[in-house]
Amino acid sequence: MMSFPVLLVISVAAGFVGAMSGMGGGVVLIPALTLVGMDIKHAIAVSIVSVIATSSGSASAYVKDHITNLKVGMFLEMFTILGALTGAAITVVSSRRPLFLLFGLVLLGTWLALFLQRNEHWTPVANVDRFSRWLDLRGSYYDQAQGQVITYEGARAWAGGPLMFIAGLIAGLLGIGAGALKVLIHDLVMGLPPKVSTTTSNLIIGVTALAGTSVYLAAGLIDPGLAAPVIIGVGAGAYLGTKLLVRLTNMAVRRFFLVVLLILGLEMLIRGIRG
Amino acid sequence: MSDANVTNAANPNPPAPPLTEEDLLRGHHPLETAVGYILQVGVLLSALLLAIGLTWRWFVTGHFAIEYSIHGVNLFQFVVQEVRLALAEAFRPRLFVNLGIAVLLLTPYIRVFASMILFAAVERNAKYTAFTAFVLAVLTYTLFLR
Repeated sequence: MMSFPVLLVISVAAGFVGAMSGMGGGVVLIPALTLVGMDIKHAIAVSIVSVIATSSGSASAYVKDHITNLKVGMFLEMFTILGALTGAAITVVSSRRPLFLLFGLVLLGTWLALFLQRNEHWTPVANVDRFSRWLDLRGSYYDQAQGQVITYEGARAWAGGPLMFIAGLIAGLLGIGAGALKVLIHDLVMGLPPKVSTTTSNLIIGVTALAGTSVYLAAGLIDPGLAAPVIIGVGAGAYLGTKLLVRLTNMAVRRFFLVVLLILGLEMLIRGIRG
Repeated sequence: MSDANVTNAANPNPPAPPLTEEDLLRGHHPLETAVGYILQVGVLLSALLLAIGLTWRWFVTGHFAIEYSIHGVNLFQFVVQEVRLALAEAFRPRLFVNLGIAVLLLTPYIRVFASMILFAAVERNAKYTAFTAFVLAVLTYTLFLR
């Protein structure tokens, strides 16, 4: 049996990092839980439940601050939930080593993508395609760090949608929010400002995680006694992380995840290779 | 030229342009506020129920650990079962933990449901009502999985 205080401390730390990055708590939680001896499938299942708490908790604050773009969120959720169902169904029948390997690869891939674009500043998309215009993905928000109102319009939704299926697939498969990947699609493909990407990704993650959770619930992989302290811990950590995010600039946030992602990715990959 | 423009030209750091009415209304209220509150209430209620369950367990047994799994039920069966126990006043730590988890799982579900109603009734946006209805239909299907 896992020690309750250890479970709680791991969960608080995971929630904090997850909210800061918009990734959801799972990316830190799952490697940490497997390190203290939990089976990876159970860790994935517990994690995806806690991801609902983290993302919903953070999303509630962002949505009320009017940073989140609900239309972008609803459009992309159509794709992520189908991906999450597929992914979770694969994990239930998969063996364990590929899950470690895939987890490591996804983390390192995310790291590389974030690292390569770390100095890029957001520039609005010049030409918005007809489909995106039809979807009406405009928005505006007040940026506290810059002290001004930012207006923008989402573009290339025809590519963003299908790519979000893949993000949902990874989320369901590995029990994570896959927020970093979602943020990347928002930033690079759809041209949303970084804060809108992070917060809208948070909203999408909750629904995506629910789709994955229902598969794990049906498979009997969710243990409420373990899930309870993890949900509380991750939720508390996420609350603290959210309070900080609104005040920090984009660069500080990015630099922070880069280090965390690299360490965790390497660790999972090594364990997948060693078996 | 008005007085306001003169003041602006003299100021080396003019303030940000004021929000236009369009900026303020663009897809914002009341949809976002409602969604925000649903998420907040759901998460807080869930955390409260879980905390009560675990604390009660600790008072009774001296430790927090509760070990059991849920097998062969989908979420809706799970919710019905727990609500029935609660109505029968069969209170015990496990009931609170289970209710906490059920509330958490239903939070995004209710959020999507509320978004659909708001897109349909308040914004009168057929396109986004249809998108939201699709998401709701898929989620409903998955919650009946077993």
